[in-house]
Amino acid sequence: MIDSRMKSPKKTRTWVLFVDRLADRVITIGGVLVIGAVMGMMVFFIYEIAPLFKGGAVESQYAYRLEKSPESLLGVFLDDYNTIAATVDADGEVIAWHVKTGRSLTAQSFDLGGKRVTAFSQGIDGSDMAFGFSDGTVRFGKIRFESDVLPADQLPKDVEKLNEEDFTDGTAVYSTIPGDQIRKIGVKIKLDDEILSSETKSPITAIDCRFVEFGEKPTKTLLVIDDKGAGTLSSIQSKLNLFTRKAATKVTKTALPRLPEPIAAAFALVNDTGDSVYLAEKNGRVYRYRTEAGERPFLAEAVKLLPDGVEITEFGFLLGGRSLVVGASDGSVNIYFLLKRNDAHSEDGYTLVQTRRFEPHGSAVTGLSPSRRGKTFATSDAAGDIRIRHGTSRKTILRLSESGERSRLQAIVLSPRLNGLLALNRDGSVRFWELDILHPEISLGTLFGEVWYEGYPEPSYTWQSTGATDAFEPKLSIRPLIFGTVKATFYSLLFAIPLALLAAVYTSEFLPHRIRGKVKPMMEIMASLPSVVLGFVAALVLAPLVETWIAAIVLGFVVMPLSLIMAAYVWQLLPPGIALRLQGIPKFCLMFVVVGAALYVAYLSGPAFENLFFDGDFRLWLSSDKGASAPFTFLLTLPAMAIVVSVGASRLIGYRFNRYMKTLRMPYSAILDMVRWFGLAGATLILSYVTAIVAQAMGVDPRGGFVGTYAQRNTLVVGFAMGFAVIPIIYTLAEDALNAVPEHLRSASLGCGATLWQTAIWIVLPTALSGVFSAVMIGMGRAVGETMIVVMSAGNTPLMDWNVFNGLRALSANIAVELPEAPKDGTLYRVLFLTGLILFSMTFVINTIAELVRLHFRKRSMQL
Amino acid sequence: MEHGFIPNDSAGKSQSEAEPLGRPEPNDRGGQDAIIPSTQDEKGTGEEIVTTKVAQESLKKSMLWDFKARGEPFLWGLGGALAIGIIMIIGFVVLIVYNGVLTFYPKPAAKVVLKDGSVLAGELTRSEVYRPGPEILKNLGEQDRQLIESGKGHARRNLYRTGNFDLYNEDFRWVPDYRVATVQYPRDLVFLERIEWGPFIGTIRSADFNGIVVDKESLSWDELRLQHKQAVKRRKRVKEIERDQMGAINHALERNRLRLRKIEMKQGKDSAAYRKAQQDAQDGEKALRARHEELSREASILKGLDAKFTITPVDVAGREIKLKISDMVRFYQANSLTFLEKLGIYFSRWWEFLTDEPREANTEGGVMPAIFGTLCMTVLMSLAVAPFGVIAALYLREYAKQGRLVSLVRICVNNLAGVPSIVYGVFGLGFFAYVLGASIDQIFFSERLPSPTFGTGGLLWASLTLALLTVPVVIVATEEALASVPQSMREGSLACGASKWQTIRYIVLPRAMPGIMTGLILAMARGAGEVAPLMLIGVVKMAPELPIDSFFPYIHLERSFMHLGFHIYDVGFQSRNSEAAKPMVFVTTLLLISLVFIMNAASIVLRNRLKRKFFTGHF
Repeated sequence: MIDSRMKSPKKTRTWVLFVDRLADRVITIGGVLVIGAVMGMMVFFIYEIAPLFKGGAVESQYAYRLEKSPESLLGVFLDDYNTIAATVDADGEVIAWHVKTGRSLTAQSFDLGGKRVTAFSQGIDGSDMAFGFSDGTVRFGKIRFESDVLPADQLPKDVEKLNEEDFTDGTAVYSTIPGDQIRKIGVKIKLDDEILSSETKSPITAIDCRFVEFGEKPTKTLLVIDDKGAGTLSSIQSKLNLFTRKAATKVTKTALPRLPEPIAAAFALVNDTGDSVYLAEKNGRVYRYRTEAGERPFLAEAVKLLPDGVEITEFGFLLGGRSLVVGASDGSVNIYFLLKRNDAHSEDGYTLVQTRRFEPHGSAVTGLSPSRRGKTFATSDAAGDIRIRHGTSRKTILRLSESGERSRLQAIVLSPRLNGLLALNRDGSVRFWELDILHPEISLGTLFGEVWYEGYPEPSYTWQSTGATDAFEPKLSIRPLIFGTVKATFYSLLFAIPLALLAAVYTSEFLPHRIRGKVKPMMEIMASLPSVVLGFVAALVLAPLVETWIAAIVLGFVVMPLSLIMAAYVWQLLPPGIALRLQGIPKFCLMFVVVGAALYVAYLSGPAFENLFFDGDFRLWLSSDKGASAPFTFLLTLPAMAIVVSVGASRLIGYRFNRYMKTLRMPYSAILDMVRWFGLAGATLILSYVTAIVAQAMGVDPRGGFVGTYAQRNTLVVGFAMGFAVIPIIYTLAEDALNAVPEHLRSASLGCGATLWQTAIWIVLPTALSGVFSAVMIGMGRAVGETMIVVMSAGNTPLMDWNVFNGLRALSANIAVELPEAPKDGTLYRVLFLTGLILFSMTFVINTIAELVRLHFRKRSMQL
Repeated sequence: MEHGFIPNDSAGKSQSEAEPLGRPEPNDRGGQDAIIPSTQDEKGTGEEIVTTKVAQESLKKSMLWDFKARGEPFLWGLGGALAIGIIMIIGFVVLIVYNGVLTFYPKPAAKVVLKDGSVLAGELTRSEVYRPGPEILKNLGEQDRQLIESGKGHARRNLYRTGNFDLYNEDFRWVPDYRVATVQYPRDLVFLERIEWGPFIGTIRSADFNGIVVDKESLSWDELRLQHKQAVKRRKRVKEIERDQMGAINHALERNRLRLRKIEMKQGKDSAAYRKAQQDAQDGEKALRARHEELSREASILKGLDAKFTITPVDVAGREIKLKISDMVRFYQANSLTFLEKLGIYFSRWWEFLTDEPREANTEGGVMPAIFGTLCMTVLMSLAVAPFGVIAALYLREYAKQGRLVSLVRICVNNLAGVPSIVYGVFGLGFFAYVLGASIDQIFFSERLPSPTFGTGGLLWASLTLALLTVPVVIVATEEALASVPQSMREGSLACGASKWQTIRYIVLPRAMPGIMTGLILAMARGAGEVAPLMLIGVVKMAPELPIDSFFPYIHLERSFMHLGFHIYDVGFQSRNSEAAKPMVFVTTLLLISLVFIMNAASIVLRNRLKRKFFTGHF
């Protein structure tokens, strides 16, 4: 009996057990996974950002000895894929070899007609070159690596295998590439006709050439220096005749003015545009000519860049021709910019300014190789140390060393795609490093610090991610963006916090319950407005409106509080019976009337105010520095002065005044109170005016600080629109916090005879303070991350000023604008991820503080 | 007790109104000596033996008004802030609704004759007061200048929507009042909405119905309407042929090509399977091409017919154009419409807006694809967010051991609800599209590479991103709902022998349902209105195809889509003429806001209804 009763109900169906266990597992695993996934975001961000701060790495290196080494080396050339290297020597002989094995390839040599090259210049694009000869003639040459992608089945049969990927037929290299294809690379040379460049026909000692394409016309700017120190600058334009298919070259020669005493120019440089020429002597003295088109060239500056006893050993430009790298025999490497300086000791107002100093080499600098991608360059020294650095970030990306070899380094060359470096020694041995350099231009310094970019007069925080030309250097300083976010948040909270908190206190403590039930959901509706709608209204409706009525709006900030206070004093005049009868809804409605009236008054008197204060046009007044600054200072100091006056008055006469007022009968005391207020207001006005006049006399001008040039899409508009997004959040949460204050506290306070106002301000608010604070923090979090409003109404100018009438570019808006165009895994892409992480962390910290405070508040209110 | 002397103010009032406003203030810090009379008063009223009249009398006599304690100016400051807040919201909603509702209502077209003799016609869009620059003032006549000076340098100007973009190169024109000679509203002015170039405002000079030329006097509007109806039918047929039928053929061709490529990649070019597939493809292609030919012939015949039905509208200055009747969307005589006709046009425009596709760089036509895209994305998002959010919350509340770690996780989840949406967008692009999507492409869609299938923004990734964005909201709401189910119910259920899952399934979840649904709908509302992350991941200005169509597999999760919120951003900011686009943006905004508001309202209604269902008779 007992048995059967025990058995039958006890038996749980296996299905139930199974489902229970299944649910258990699914929910546990699923829950952990979901939470893990959400947390995993942070990890993914860090994973994406990490490569930014990695330096370079050597992936593999190859060392070998060339079968035949160049006699007197002029230049080393490398193709785009690190497959073939070639050298040119003084007889025009070209030696080509496979980069990774050293297997020599047959290549055509330059036929220089038996003449020996006395000066040589290699273009930064790595294929063009200019030869100078002892008879004053110049020839241009070109080494081209022709590459061709073929299907895999077109690989010739009789090829020699070089390594895993590469094959050769003796002249060209075939590399297998993904997608069942092969790439054929061969060496081609091209030699132009002789040009007589130097008038004197004396031997050329130094030569420099820039190969630039101006539109469709390739232009070469050629600088030659002969053994007597005479310089000639030529501009060579080749034009293809459309009918005859013949290239016609046009040479324009300009002789550089002679120096008082001839120099032995060891280096000659001309910049890309051909308007500056630099001649450098070994001893560190540099002569700079200004050679602007259509004007006679003149010697602009002669300056000694190095201390006595130190010699220049390397002298060259980085990509773009604006950073002048000077390497010296003491191992120092510096970069100079040509900048306009007021104190310049030069003819044209410009001077060479040393802007960057790099970690020096241990011995004399012997080699310099600028990259074709960005401002990276490699330097080598006599001891065989090689350093790869970046000109802007000043980062030493990699240190390589050839010191194991006995022989001396002869030349180094960075590969075109910045993924390799080839070092050629005097004895014909070669070392090639395959490199992995991802983001040389990024360092904490360039992201957050001031950076002195090329062409900028001084270090600055600049965000400018894209430019028109190849030589453009992206400027990725995050500071202006963070500043923009802070600025937008600051101004919008300046507007939102007072409004939201005041409204919340009123709703919770003074508003009749019946209206409260309607007012609160209405404010909450505002919170659910999509921000794109707010942005649209802000930018297309509000911004033009604010632009037209800016004076009235500025006036409104003064008129609004004044009229409300004024209305309060008028209200006090009411007999108590009537006042009590109208206490609830009618009073609240009256407030609407007052607000409306204040707006109307501001609207009406806007133009008059503009005439009186700002010479008739506020925006013009803002953007110029003319006109008196006192009127605006007057407005600015009003609030502060009001506080000073009221505190002062209550300290001095407040107590006696209050006692006296209490002895009066009703209407008189109210009138007296009003008179007192008028007195205080008058005193405030006078004090502010005096302060403003004094400030003006002292030269204080608010323009240029918190106000300044007016832009249509400005921070004022952003703050206003963001108010729509932030006010409801702060309002709702703060109201909840105030409401959660236990009723018995209020009752006790009121029972002791405190007024509602006193209860609200001395009892309820302090109790709810932490909840209110957390409401403000959460509102701030929303303002920091708000995107669409800032994208649409902030103008997106990455500036760093506090001017409320100017635009800004916030972190969030920047991501929204730039990320769709950023190539995957590029520098910009990763930097944008970094800004995303910063945004993430900012809001996370703010929200965590809010949450902790809220928990604390909750605990405390539980105790009450 | 104070209510004694204000009889009508007692019933139904809350404590907040029962404020001791008129009472003498005993509690002033610094005014202790004022206590004596006030205690008397307190006693008097406290005993409630004093009549109203006496109370008032004594009040007047002993009234010591401590204005400082009342804080009246501060109260007005607080109330004023609330009033400003409410005015802001109402102003905002009114602005949107007013502009959105009125946009489609036909306006009269004015013919404005200027003082210099030139004429223009257009709809009055708005007018404003402005300040003419000094160089304009210099060239004005004496009279005009005086007029402006009398207005303190201000003048009024009107913005007319002149249309006729093909003739004038502008849609709008400002006309200052001082330049206007007369404004008329001629009854024969016609407002023509065209498929291209925006509206035309002018008169119809003649019409050509397949060779039968009808001049202005003998042109009957009924005839024109009839012809227009037929032309529209033809236009729709052409569109059907070109888009649907020829699109299907192109789709089939593309599918063949991909199938071939797949076989080629798997088995190589020399395999038998490839050869067979190639043969099949060629045969299929031939048939398809023939059908394509046929269709395009039919379309060109229809188009040729269309070209024979034209009208010749002429603008008020006398410049005429030629217009195919099929290129007209709508036409009416703007100044001789009855109220009912106006309503008809109003509703037909709404219908077009809701059901048609956009034209003219999204500034005209409808937003159907955007509505569709928004709905698709929201539904997909909810499908993803609901189970995951609920499971995570169940885990946190019912399964996980409540300790420090769980409360830490809870704080983090709360925080994630406040992380900016754009950050989720960045994550979505970087992780979903570029990592997950790229891997999917490698494995399943390698024949389509290098053009990405899932490896770029699309509907699926956008929905998942938004799901990630809203999952904290759902978790928080669900957790709160679960927490509000009394522990006693769980214990009761378990004590009856139910398993844990049974308890959750039959006892806890139903009771928590209102809260969960509310959270879910709020999440949907947030998702529907969110734009910033979508800009990064999958939303486009103009999607060529809808994400759901008649081709296998019918739902194309990889496709990019249009979205109402992005539509607002795009039309308002990227279009050729933001002034011309503004009305459209307002209507779209109205639509989006209504959608979000309806969802919010639905969450409230649903919550109340479920509450009633589950909580009646509960304990």
